[in-house]
Amino acid sequence: MDKVDSNGCEEGVSATFVFRSRPNQSLTRGEQRVVFWTLAMVCLGTASGFALLGYWPILPFAGLEIGLLAWAHEVLRTREGAYETITIEGDKVVLEWQAGTRADHREMNRRWARVTCECASPGRNCHLRLSSHGRDTEVGQYLSDEARLRLAATLRRKLRE
Amino acid sequence: MSDAAHAHDEHGHHAHPTGLMRWLTTTNHKDIGSLYLFFALIMLFMAGSMALLIRAELFKPGLQLMHPDFFNQLTTMHGLIMIFGVIMPAFSGFANWQVPLMLGAPDMAFPRMNNWAFWLLPVAGVMLLGSFWLPGGAVAGGWTMYPPLFIQGGVSYDLTILAVHIMGLSSIMGSINIITTILNMRAPGLTLMKMPLFCWTWLITAYLLIATMPVLAGAVTMLLTDRNFGTHFFNAAGGGDPVMFQHIFWFFAHPEVYILILPAFGIVSQVIPTFARKPLFGYASMVYATASIAILSFIVWAHHMFTVGMPVAGQLFFMFSTMLIAVPTGVKVFNWVATMWKGSMTFETPMLFAIAFVCLFTIGGFSGLVLAMAPVDIQLQDTYYVVAHFHYVLVSGALFSIFAGIYYWLPKWTGHMYSETLGKTHFWLSVIGMNIVFFPMHFLGLAGMPRRIPDYALQFTEFNQIATVGAFIFGFSQLIFLTVVLKTIKGGAKASDRVWEGAEGLEWTVPSPAPYHTFETAPVVK
Ligand code: HEM
Ligand SMILES: [Cu+2]
Repeated sequence: MDKVDSNGCEEGVSATFVFRSRPNQSLTRGEQRVVFWTLAMVCLGTASGFALLGYWPILPFAGLEIGLLAWAHEVLRTREGAYETITIEGDKVVLEWQAGTRADHREMNRRWARVTCECASPGRNCHLRLSSHGRDTEVGQYLSDEARLRLAATLRRKLRE
Repeated sequence: MSDAAHAHDEHGHHAHPTGLMRWLTTTNHKDIGSLYLFFALIMLFMAGSMALLIRAELFKPGLQLMHPDFFNQLTTMHGLIMIFGVIMPAFSGFANWQVPLMLGAPDMAFPRMNNWAFWLLPVAGVMLLGSFWLPGGAVAGGWTMYPPLFIQGGVSYDLTILAVHIMGLSSIMGSINIITTILNMRAPGLTLMKMPLFCWTWLITAYLLIATMPVLAGAVTMLLTDRNFGTHFFNAAGGGDPVMFQHIFWFFAHPEVYILILPAFGIVSQVIPTFARKPLFGYASMVYATASIAILSFIVWAHHMFTVGMPVAGQLFFMFSTMLIAVPTGVKVFNWVATMWKGSMTFETPMLFAIAFVCLFTIGGFSGLVLAMAPVDIQLQDTYYVVAHFHYVLVSGALFSIFAGIYYWLPKWTGHMYSETLGKTHFWLSVIGMNIVFFPMHFLGLAGMPRRIPDYALQFTEFNQIATVGAFIFGFSQLIFLTVVLKTIKGGAKASDRVWEGAEGLEWTVPSPAPYHTFETAPVVK
């Protein structure tokens, strides 16, 4: 997942700050399907060959593996079109998410919004949260830890402006 | 830096796991990469100690130190653990650390599955090692698990089958992650043919793993049902065919030996251009050679079975198809040499290991060609010649590439330079020790000494003694490696971002150690 959208960091003229990130997909849907099917067919092909010779217990394992591949394929499909947006405009901070069929958003007051960023160890396993009125919301899910730290700094600056 | 320092000031009210829990729950590719590498390091010393016990027993003819059955347990577990517990996990460690860095991706595609894939391994490792304490001891039928022996053994055989299943599941999860990351998470502009060769070799390795793991799982399951549920897949007593096990096993295991070497090709292809200060010669031909090796690896399996009584046509087919693999392998060796040709070379430890790899792996390739000749192999099958062959490709091949890779990337990972003096000492002792152990095995094999025996005829004594001395030199010099790694993690001279003057690629554009701001804006590759 991830990549800061190439035109994600628009520091607009009207002091509106928009940060949009989305999971990176360098394969198209069609290409993802080709990858899945070539793997599935090779597994199924060899397993069927052995099954025809009477050594059928390879088949269920091929089936399980194809199941796992299908799950992975499906996860990629739901990541398609997913995004997360943080907008700071006037005295409002708006968070929006879209992933698969799920979409949500939250608004908070710019003056009350706080940024927390914790890392279990430097640069690893960082959690970035925006909180206000005792409720926090995790942001930066498509970013690397390093990019999250960087975003935390940017957000702090922007919120203060 | 200051952002991060700042981040630490503000403590949120969210507890995050620390200590052991942090490592158990981590989904970060760098953490998981480190875990794989530490696991491989520990297992290297476990399986290495077994090898030293084997060599100690073989120092003299006759039985010296142990019961023959325990000797057989040692050879079996040494093989299984070195393959599934050392070489494969170490390569997975490299993949976890390097693939996202090389591709400009924030992490692996499925971080949680990545965590699972690793943590299954220690479970399997404990099961394998623990089986020494079961009634009847550990499995003793050889890492190839052939029936009828494997159908007859005690409870540890069932446990080993379970461990193989677990390790297989781990490999499948790891492979799905690697394939998806490489294909789907490349930075904008980083086309497949611009990827570092290491990514290519791992991509193809992961395909091999996915294609063959169900075959292994099915094969060991049939052993299990033959043992416990009265089936007769391989049990001759019930009309089963033990030779079919060999076909099925090698249909998995020949691609497996390439799983053990393709990532090594990748590592060496990163190291050599850096220290020759020239781009890799014949990048595209390297990619095609890797792919051809992988495809051919599916049609050569019966070269392990020339003595089972195949029809002549079969022997010829497997003989020529095996020889065919030498062509793409030769292309690779040629390209590495051509990369070094007229380069301005320097000989830091990673480069030394890479050069030793090219020379000594080639010896293993040649002895492979000797074994590929069916009439010759009928003499050499199951002798020490085979042992010499696969240790040249696996020790001076796979393991040396791992050493090269560790010395090469450790400064990037830890932020510290390793001690070049210690590194070079480790290199020279390893390379000399390795040849003293394994070169005489060619002669032993040609003279007819069978493999996997605790006792031997008197005329084999001298070469065995030389081999044992070499083994202790090689084994103990790995303690230097351990020292270097631990010292470099703890501290040492600060490493620069680029670390090596000639290093190219995304991973070197970020500071050492890799953590902060890895790719603050998506890197665009031109
Ligand atoms: C030019 C390339 C190669 C050729 C032509 C070749 C050929 C062979 C042949 C014919 C055998 C069977 C010998 C016998 O049992 O009588 C063999 C065994 C073996 N080879 Fe290779 N090989 C090559 C490369 C490799 C590589 C790259 C690896 C692993 C990294 C490898 C690992 C092994 C192992 C582990 C065995 C022994 C398996 C066992 O019986 O326990 N080989 N090779
Ligand atoms: Cu083979």
